[in-house]
Amino acid sequence: MRRTAALLGVALTGTLLLAGCGSSDDEAADLSVSGAYMPQPVSDSMAAGFLTVTNKGGTKDELTSVTSDLGEVTMHETVDAAMQETKRLDVPAHGQLVFKSGGTHLMFEKLKHQPKQGETVSVELHFADSDPVTVEMPVKSATYTPKTGH
Amino acid sequence: MRKKTFAAAALLAAASLTLTACGSGDDTGSPVSVVSEDSANTKAAIVLDKPFEKPDLVLTDTNGKKYDLREQTKGRPTLIYFGYTNCPDVCPTTMSNIAVAKSKLPKAQQDELRVVFVTTDPDRDTPKALGKWLKGIDSQVVGLTGDFATIQAGARTLGITIEAPHKDKNGKIVSTHGTQVVAFSPKTDGGYVLYTEDATVDDYIKDLPKLVKGETP
Repeated sequence: MRRTAALLGVALTGTLLLAGCGSSDDEAADLSVSGAYMPQPVSDSMAAGFLTVTNKGGTKDELTSVTSDLGEVTMHETVDAAMQETKRLDVPAHGQLVFKSGGTHLMFEKLKHQPKQGETVSVELHFADSDPVTVEMPVKSATYTPKTGH
Repeated sequence: MRKKTFAAAALLAAASLTLTACGSGDDTGSPVSVVSEDSANTKAAIVLDKPFEKPDLVLTDTNGKKYDLREQTKGRPTLIYFGYTNCPDVCPTTMSNIAVAKSKLPKAQQDELRVVFVTTDPDRDTPKALGKWLKGIDSQVVGLTGDFATIQAGARTLGITIEAPHKDKNGKIVSTHGTQVVAFSPKTDGGYVLYTEDATVDDYIKDLPKLVKGETP
């Protein structure tokens, strides 16, 4: 099921209005994805991906798996400069799940091809409760760092 | 997603405008001084009061030949990083940052500079595997592999702790990388500047011209 996060948000809001439910704590998870990118990998064997999942709803959700046409995807946390694979990552109510360089990241393996800067990689995020979200992840330069603002 | 990209661009533009507005309050500041203020605020280099001695490492390079670190980098500006090639995130980014900054130097300085990547995962990072990976970054980078205990001891003399690769409960190999790059002076062969993994390509572009001359960034 391919549905964008924005559409999902609209659908959920509509449901809530019909139900006449005003309390934000009763809201279901309301997810959107931003800031996705993949640094251009240096080989054809492995790549990393980063993004932020924002939950505007009052219920937490969990990211349970990530799939992509590019290859196998696993989720990793960096603990003491070592990567550890993780099977579930919380998307807290009114909070964010942030993947960033040096921290939690997506690891792509067994790549079908070596992505180059300017391409996009299609990635599908699967959650415990919410519908899957498809993300078109742009491939940036190998040295790209997102601007965070102040 | 397109809309979000535009939204992000708009936010960035807003941030830039804010910055511009802050700067324009002081009309006397020339653009040049603003730039230097900016870079001073985001300084990535950690200059050491007491430089590190270059580790006494004799390892194997990507051609399978013996490489004596002290002997072969003597009197050369040298950057050393400990990492592994099955590392999707920090290791390739760190090495790519250095490689891009190096490519901005005049050719003679590029040839003078020694960038040394020492593997923390020597079982998987054979000379051949290292060579293939480094070719995707910069073929001038020296890739070294060898006995893990030797590499670990060498890293430790630079204050860098690495653990031996081990298997997690799923049978996947977990390796560690160093968290810093050490720059050695061509004048003293001492390791006098550190960069953490937060250092960006712009930091290296700004500092490498000084590091190749043994100057303090």
